[in-house]
Amino acid sequence: MMRWTDHLILVPVVLPLVAGAAMLLVDEQRRGLKFAISLVSTLGLLAAAIVLMRLADGRLEGWSGSIGVYLAANWPVPFGIALAVDRLSALLLALCAVLALASLVFSHARWNRAGVHFHALFQFLLMGVNGTFLTADLFNLFVFFEVMLAASYGLALHGSGAARVAAGMHYVAVNLVASSLFLLGVSMLYGVTGTLNMADLARVIAHVSPHDRMLLEAGAALLGIAFLVKSAMWPLAFWLPATYAAASAPVAAVFAIMTKVGIYVILRLWLLLFAGAEAGASSGFGRDLLLYGGMATLAFATIGMLASHDLRRLAAYSIIMSSGALLAAIGFGETAVVAGALFYLLSSTLSAGALFLLIELIERTRTAASSVLAVTLEAFEAQGALHAGAGEEAPEDSGVVIPAAMAFLGLSFVTSALLVAGLPPLSGFIGKFALLAAMLQPAGGQAGGGVQPAAWIMLALLLASGLAGAVALMRIGIRTFWVPTRPRVPRLRVIEAMPVAALLLLCLVITVQAGPVMRYLDSAAGALARRDDYVRAVMGAPTVPSARDRAR
Amino acid sequence: MWPITVPLLLPFVGSALAALLPPNARNREAWLAGVVTLAGVLVMGLQYPAIAAGEVLHYEVPWLPGLGLSFSLRLDGFAWQFAMLVLVIGLLVVLYARYYMSPSDPVPRFFAFFLAFMGSMLGIVLSGNLVQLAMFWELTSLMSFLLIGYWHHRPDARRGARMALVITVAGGLCLFAGVLMMGQVAGGYELDRVLASGELIRAHPWYRPMLVLIALGALTKSAQFPFHFWLPRAMAAPTPVSAYLHSATMVKAGVFLLTRLWPVLAGTPEWSWLIGGAGLVTLLLGAFVAIFQHDLKGLLAYSTLSHLGLITLLLGIGSPLAAIAAIFHTMNHATFKASLFMAAGIIDHETGTRDMRRLSGLYRAMPITATLAMVAAAAMAGVPLLNGFLSKEMFFAEALEVGSTRDYRMAIAATVAGVFSVTYSARFIHEVFFGPPPHDLPRTPHEPPRWMRFPVELLVFACLAVGIAPGLTMGPSLHHAAVAVLGADTPAYSLAVWHGLNLPLAMSAVALVGGLGLYLLLQRRFRLSSVERVPLVHRFDGQRLFERFLDALTVGAGRLEALLGTRRLQPQLELVVLVALAAAAIPLLARGLQAGSAAPVPADPVFAALWAVGVACAVGAAWQAKYHRLAALMLMGGAGVVTSLTFVWLSAPDLALTQLMVESVTIVLILLGLRWLPARLEPRELGVRATLADRVRRTRDFAVALAAGAGVAVLAYALFTRPFPHGMAPFFLERTLPQGGGANAVNVLLVDFRGFDTMGEITVLGIVGLTVYALLRRFRPAPESIALPAQQEGQPSVGSGPASAGVEAERGYMMVPAVSLRLLFPIMAMVSIFFLLRGHDQPGGGFVAGLILAVAIILQYIAGGTVWVEEHLKLAPRRLIGLGLLAAAGTGLGAWLFGYPFLTSHSAHPRLPLVGEIALPSAFLFDLGVYLLVIGATAVVLISLAHQSLRSHRAMQAMTPGAAAESVAEPLERRWN
Amino acid sequence: MELIVAVAIGVLVGSGVWLLLRPRSFQVIVGLSLISYGVNLFIFGMGRLGVDRVPIVGQGAVDPSRYADPLPQALVLTAIVIGFAMTALFLVVMLASRGFNGTDHVDGKEPP
Repeated sequence: MMRWTDHLILVPVVLPLVAGAAMLLVDEQRRGLKFAISLVSTLGLLAAAIVLMRLADGRLEGWSGSIGVYLAANWPVPFGIALAVDRLSALLLALCAVLALASLVFSHARWNRAGVHFHALFQFLLMGVNGTFLTADLFNLFVFFEVMLAASYGLALHGSGAARVAAGMHYVAVNLVASSLFLLGVSMLYGVTGTLNMADLARVIAHVSPHDRMLLEAGAALLGIAFLVKSAMWPLAFWLPATYAAASAPVAAVFAIMTKVGIYVILRLWLLLFAGAEAGASSGFGRDLLLYGGMATLAFATIGMLASHDLRRLAAYSIIMSSGALLAAIGFGETAVVAGALFYLLSSTLSAGALFLLIELIERTRTAASSVLAVTLEAFEAQGALHAGAGEEAPEDSGVVIPAAMAFLGLSFVTSALLVAGLPPLSGFIGKFALLAAMLQPAGGQAGGGVQPAAWIMLALLLASGLAGAVALMRIGIRTFWVPTRPRVPRLRVIEAMPVAALLLLCLVITVQAGPVMRYLDSAAGALARRDDYVRAVMGAPTVPSARDRAR
Repeated sequence: MWPITVPLLLPFVGSALAALLPPNARNREAWLAGVVTLAGVLVMGLQYPAIAAGEVLHYEVPWLPGLGLSFSLRLDGFAWQFAMLVLVIGLLVVLYARYYMSPSDPVPRFFAFFLAFMGSMLGIVLSGNLVQLAMFWELTSLMSFLLIGYWHHRPDARRGARMALVITVAGGLCLFAGVLMMGQVAGGYELDRVLASGELIRAHPWYRPMLVLIALGALTKSAQFPFHFWLPRAMAAPTPVSAYLHSATMVKAGVFLLTRLWPVLAGTPEWSWLIGGAGLVTLLLGAFVAIFQHDLKGLLAYSTLSHLGLITLLLGIGSPLAAIAAIFHTMNHATFKASLFMAAGIIDHETGTRDMRRLSGLYRAMPITATLAMVAAAAMAGVPLLNGFLSKEMFFAEALEVGSTRDYRMAIAATVAGVFSVTYSARFIHEVFFGPPPHDLPRTPHEPPRWMRFPVELLVFACLAVGIAPGLTMGPSLHHAAVAVLGADTPAYSLAVWHGLNLPLAMSAVALVGGLGLYLLLQRRFRLSSVERVPLVHRFDGQRLFERFLDALTVGAGRLEALLGTRRLQPQLELVVLVALAAAAIPLLARGLQAGSAAPVPADPVFAALWAVGVACAVGAAWQAKYHRLAALMLMGGAGVVTSLTFVWLSAPDLALTQLMVESVTIVLILLGLRWLPARLEPRELGVRATLADRVRRTRDFAVALAAGAGVAVLAYALFTRPFPHGMAPFFLERTLPQGGGANAVNVLLVDFRGFDTMGEITVLGIVGLTVYALLRRFRPAPESIALPAQQEGQPSVGSGPASAGVEAERGYMMVPAVSLRLLFPIMAMVSIFFLLRGHDQPGGGFVAGLILAVAIILQYIAGGTVWVEEHLKLAPRRLIGLGLLAAAGTGLGAWLFGYPFLTSHSAHPRLPLVGEIALPSAFLFDLGVYLLVIGATAVVLISLAHQSLRSHRAMQAMTPGAAAESVAEPLERRWN
Repeated sequence: MELIVAVAIGVLVGSGVWLLLRPRSFQVIVGLSLISYGVNLFIFGMGRLGVDRVPIVGQGAVDPSRYADPLPQALVLTAIVIGFAMTALFLVVMLASRGFNGTDHVDGKEPP
């Protein structure tokens, strides 16, 4: 028999699926009900993720070891599809749920009215993202990638309008090409090794004959490019600023997790397959690409931040910036560095989400011309003639207005600016500090000796990007808040202000509680380094004995 | 713990409270701030006995133990003295600000920022580890930014604030880098640890970079040359802010750090050149420029620069005595400069101007203030019996020690600086308080409120007290501070006023006399007050340079972004393809690639011929896609058909079926879409010729395409010809029937072994259905494509003219095929169900079946017209999608009831009447879900597209007046949502 | 056989990539479809090619060597479906862009 702790592994995928499907049976007009379903499901995801974290961290009894494995359809690895949860995936599940919760609540103020099927698509997006965090099967990873992407296309276009559609076309086209690369890569790996399971792959990769190894590596390379497109590495990142800048605020906020999906997969697969000596002749394959590609990305994002006069593009570039830092950090491949990178990932994702939500509120202080809501309204007029009011009204406001709007906006802006630029004293800075301290203190070697030259470049780039971010944000902040004429004080609703405040507070919490958080991340990174544990856990996962086993 | 933590935390708490008070609560704000600061002073004061006993108080809580970072506070003599300075002057400034700030200013913001700044400053002073110090350091930068920009409606305030922020933050980041390295070298960031390992650090290869980085931090903060220019711009801040930040505290953070790390870093030539050099230049430059300022605050600002330069220089000299002098002067400067700023503020406040060219003879109007200001200015000039004199004497003494006894250059420089400082002090006193009574001042001057002047009185009293009885006043605490910095080898020194007739005294005398002389000279000869630009140095305008640099940075970044990035799709896709090509090619080239050794399948000429056609189709499609869309579409279809034939040939019937169905549906979809695309004429029809750029681009693209195709072909061939690895095929084939309950291994794989994939796959399909629907509701056809397509014009129709065309689209034309197709529908439905049922054992399955039914439906649309179909066929695609997903997921979850993992298949064996027992694997239910979803998703896509014609027809009718064709489609829209 | 299929894949992908780099959205959609044909054949080939080895087993003992590897076929099926969905989506985005921006250029505006 199976315990609930085993089934729990599946919840992050099935819960949003069921919720989304159930919503399709509800009439489009009944938004309250849909929101309720969405909210319950997302809260459930958060709860499940937290329990999974405790299980993986050994706080809760349940699994043998720190990795939980679930054999879908009860077929043994590698024949069936296995899901595997360790500290890292559990953490990212939780991160995704938090972000989703924030933007979901935010969207209820107005955005969920800007088009049909918002909540269903939202849930399917969560399903896709969670699936990528969970699966241990390459082709299944592809499927969940597509679920995530399909939903993200729908959400990126949510609210329609010329700008979104134009940006959306680029987004779709680039990612379709990336998906083809993904398929080529996966099938090549299968063609060479005859397996699709990650753990199995890690097991056999050392024994691939030199006669076939180049094909294995080529396949892995194609696969890697697909992930790098998703995680926005330069020069594959140009689709991102336009798409994120055009997307509606809650969507852009939840998209902050999507580049991290690419990062996660690279982190998982690269460390599993190529980082260690276990990879045999292929060990270290692609390190330079990650290391220097990541740095190039960091530099490009720094430039982009300085260049952007529009807060949305700036926020989008901040996402590219964190991707760059993370990719380079992965390239270092040292446990301590990875742990620091994970902290940075947490902070940057949360703050980017908060910033995207905040931007929409800030833009209300300006004339409506610049706000993205205008794009939507334009879309409404556009279809007004052809399609007189089929159920949707222009998104109007609802909810309680909060006092001292400007003070709130100013404080939140400064906070998220510090976070995004990674300046003291908030978590963004802690993340950078953790990264740099680990890089300057190479494993084993004492200071001075054995510091990689790359570490110095990284030090310079990280600090420069921080300064650039500060300058750019300050410029826009001055233009927004220090205008000679008092800015139009916007009406903020509690359900809009709350998510922003919550995300920023969360950053504050991980700043103060940096110790415990880092401990968790250290063990997460350590687990990533111990490849054999993962392989053993996944390969050795027992099926539930059943009638058909007697037939064997 | 409380002795250290309380004074640090109180200001932050106070700041939070202050922010919550209403905007007009000036008194409450002041009281709050005052009480908070006073409490800090008291608590800190109570620690004196411990400090006097030479104790070092620690407070530490672990923060990031893994990285050796803990939140730690450390209070020794030096820190104590600095903390007292910060707190006491803070208290006085609060009292002063209460009267200075006008009721119209938003006071809560002021005091909130002010207290927060005080807190961060204390944080710097009390930090027990360097990283934490760097963090508070940046915090002071941020707070000073907010305080300088307090009157943000003034452009100079905005600019000044921006400059201060950028420079100090940049410096702070450098400091952080330096601190990181230092921590790595010393093996910890704890101050005690670092102070203990001075030898190690100075000997380390990283010493120079560390020194430079930390110096950058300190010099930017203390506004030392060449970063001095931000300080005068910061005078746009309210005067209390200037008095506090830009004389007493923040700018002192730099020298504080240098003093703090003096035992670690000082004593090397690098240190002396870097720190001493910067200090010396700033000392002279500041003093010189100060002479020519007309704005009171400007004069004070530049004099602050020069005094900070003096302190920095003393530290740079590197001798213990110089360090003591530096500490001493830090304190003295704080007292007299703060009082001078307050006095200037009073004058500004009471007269309405700070321009010395308009001010004069204020002595009559405000004798007390004048006296105070004069004493303070005298202290600044270094007049005996005032505190400024003492530390300046020490400075002169040290200046004599520098270099060999023969080398007097430093002494001369020091004297010159002394002369200058006397000159500007004299100018300050003379022009403001003496001379003819002032005229046309904005306000008639008079003494300020009693309590506004009180802080000044207190500070000036301090100047006198220290100046007259240094040993009794400053002596002890200075000693503790010195010991805290210098440790055991603190040299003997005396704070006596009278050291006898010696060289330093002579230098002071020279400075005093020379300074007065220079002032008179400048007044008489050059009419100082009419000198517009500072002689000699006015060309080097750091501010303008900085502004230019910042703008250039933005512009340059814009150019670079455009250069390194793109906003167009084609380059993006090209880059993706190229990067992928490179990534795949590198390992192949590195390791070399040969064909495999497996025995090839004998080639079949028919197959070859088949692909000859296929290749032709593909290339043709690529060739025609721009100008002949329909042709390209058909060719694409041809390639698809050949592909599916290949599947048949190579024993994959399921794939062939699916490919074929998908093929036809895709074609129909695109056909439905074609009419909305703009007509495109060939170049020769337009008489356009391709430019050279076009040709180049096409050639490049062709090369890329060729490379991509060749690359994939090579990979494919290399893999096809390799012997297959052990593989999993046997496992599936052996279990498909006994355990999967189906003979068709592919189908069993889809619904059982890898059913999880299929679930995701149908989700994708459903999502796309929803997205397409959501997007097409908002569809807005381009005006020119709303008109009826030419093809439909000629059709025989119920009515005539464009107006009725819409009706045709709704009611349908082509009666004969319509009827026959209606008859066809039930048959196709049967076929689809047949495929659904046999799927588990034979080629087929839910997906193919669903597509077949969808095609049947769309055929009805094409023939019968929208309205007829939707009147006779009630299906709501959205619900079908939902049901399909729920059915699939439900089947999977069903396994939980039996205690098995998700999607574990079970076979039920119900006995049906007549039929008898049939095997009904749960996988079948799953497949049913697939079936429903595919119908729903495909139908919603096809139908939403089909509906566009209706909409546009209605739109067209709306445009053509008079023709009010009944709009049937409105209710339909509702049903389809 | 292997050679023929490999060349076929090459041509499909090649013409697809060529179209991908064209400025008009219709060209791009055709290109994407061609690429997906090529990729599907590629995946399919990973189980190696074989004639008359339809993976539909009879009753009784099974000799795996007589059948093609069913796994790549299953993968291709999934890939085909997803490819179909994405083509439909891109088509609609393309139409919407044409409608909103009045051009069928992939950048939503005619090149200067």
